Amino acid sequence: MQALPPPPPAIEAPPIEAAAVAAPAPDRSEATTGELRVAAALTDAQVHVDSGFTGASIVLYGAVFNPTPDPVDVVVVVRGPDAPVRLVKKTRNMGVWLNSRPVLFEGAPGFYMTASTRPLSDIADFGQLRRLGVGVDHLRIDAPEEAGTVTRYGVRDVVVSRLGDDYLDWRRAVIRLKEAAALYDTDPDGVEFVDRGLFRAEVKLPTVAPTGKYYAEVWLFQGGEPRSVSNLTLTVEKVGIERDIYEFAHRRPWLYGLLCVVLAALTGYGASRIFSRRD
Amino acid sequence: MDIYLPIAEVSVNWPTLVILGAVVGFVSGLFGIGGGFLMAPILVFMGIPPTVAVASQASHVVASSTSGVIRYAGQGAVDFKMGGVMAAGGAAGAIAGVELFRYLRLLGQADLVVALSYLVFLGAIGLLMLHESLTEILRRRRGLPPPRKDRRRPLWLYGLPLKMKFPKSGLYISALPPFGLGVFAGILSAIMGVGGGFILVPAMLYVLRMRAGAVVGTSLFQIIITTAITTILQAGRNQTVDILLSTILLLGGVVGAQIGARFAGRFRAEELRAALGLIVLLVGIQMGLELFVRPSDIFLLAPGVSD
Repeated sequence: MQALPPPPPAIEAPPIEAAAVAAPAPDRSEATTGELRVAAALTDAQVHVDSGFTGASIVLYGAVFNPTPDPVDVVVVVRGPDAPVRLVKKTRNMGVWLNSRPVLFEGAPGFYMTASTRPLSDIADFGQLRRLGVGVDHLRIDAPEEAGTVTRYGVRDVVVSRLGDDYLDWRRAVIRLKEAAALYDTDPDGVEFVDRGLFRAEVKLPTVAPTGKYYAEVWLFQGGEPRSVSNLTLTVEKVGIERDIYEFAHRRPWLYGLLCVVLAALTGYGASRIFSRRD
Repeated sequence: MDIYLPIAEVSVNWPTLVILGAVVGFVSGLFGIGGGFLMAPILVFMGIPPTVAVASQASHVVASSTSGVIRYAGQGAVDFKMGGVMAAGGAAGAIAGVELFRYLRLLGQADLVVALSYLVFLGAIGLLMLHESLTEILRRRRGLPPPRKDRRRPLWLYGLPLKMKFPKSGLYISALPPFGLGVFAGILSAIMGVGGGFILVPAMLYVLRMRAGAVVGTSLFQIIITTAITTILQAGRNQTVDILLSTILLLGGVVGAQIGARFAGRFRAEELRAALGLIVLLVGIQMGLELFVRPSDIFLLAPGVSD
């Protein structure tokens, strides 16, 4: 596996310099028509998780206004809500595989995908991608500069240091495991031009996608430089009976547990009544 | 045909779950056990998170045990006094077990303890059952007379305080051993998601020397109480009980259990025990193997902070 360069500094999808996007244009009525920019929208801004939910596929479509003769590249980045990640590493002790003490990353996106017109490394150089946080390799996964331990729920977790030797192994493991669960994805041909200036990309959410607010960024690159960006949001939420059950289970857990038991006992009782009558 | 489970947060094929419930229910009715030890590994194999699998199928055990107890109670084969003492122990064990499981899960060691428990307990019980029943079958084939039964109970059973009369079981012993047995079953119920019948039945037969006719009914009665408490505690403390999952499972389960109970009369007791011993042993080995096989990825996501 190729060695990754040191992890990115904490960057929160910064707005690119105003100059790169557009000239300081107070009047955007007619002048903007001659300007390089991108506009995008989602077919569904809300994804409803109900009993039939088997994942969702949302189409992101958009248009590129390109008055210049040079070709452009489009990169779509979708991020799910951040959540802490805990990992264990299996080690072999006397022939038996045992788990290490959990290692904690303070935050990693619960979902992350990029789709682009070409492989990311062809579109922009390393520093540029890192600065924008575009691409799985440049993903921000929070870790402090000093290793240490924290106690959560009475368990002592190890916090890996961003500067430690094994940080990259752990970081790669997070990405690999999330990719295996279809939560992280990189698609170098995911953005497809259907017509001149009109493109579409597909956002595939697996069943295990976390609920919450998702942020999509559509970047327009030209000559390796970001020229324009369009920001969109997407909400994934449980609805209907699924949400009722989930909320019931979390708001009144004891009553919920009692209900489960009563239901089970009644089913058992009912079955034995039905079957004994048939004898 | 897929259905999204709100707590497990995965989507599964529900007819498969109904069939799984029915098959496990059939096995449980056939052998007079809860069947939890079979269900949990299969659910995990289907991609349901282990913690949710263990907690949700406990209510499947409640359902199949309830219908079992009703049947046995009709035949007067349940010692409610003995069952009550064991259930009191089971409640204490379940409370301790759920806390222990919660701690192990956060420590990232829950998988290890579950695998080890399966390997040790199922392996040992499976071997014992297989050995005992095969000897019995061989003896019958050779036409040898059954050996003289050893009716002596361990002396320490009588030396303990708090003696109680258990007329239905034909016992006058201290309440402590059944209580302790209950505690043990309660802990197992929380960690392995099983009722504990496969441990209780032999212990009641060979250690307490209860009257054989009352053993299965009484153990089922104590299992209902223990697993009911486990389910409530898992829901209350860990929010890992998926009511949709358990309902689907028990719909198939109760029907399968009744059919299984009907088939039970067609086989000899020792043949049934040999078959059960083999199943128990195989499940134990299968679950224990993961301790020795090189994992496909040495890193694993641990649950805890976000849920």
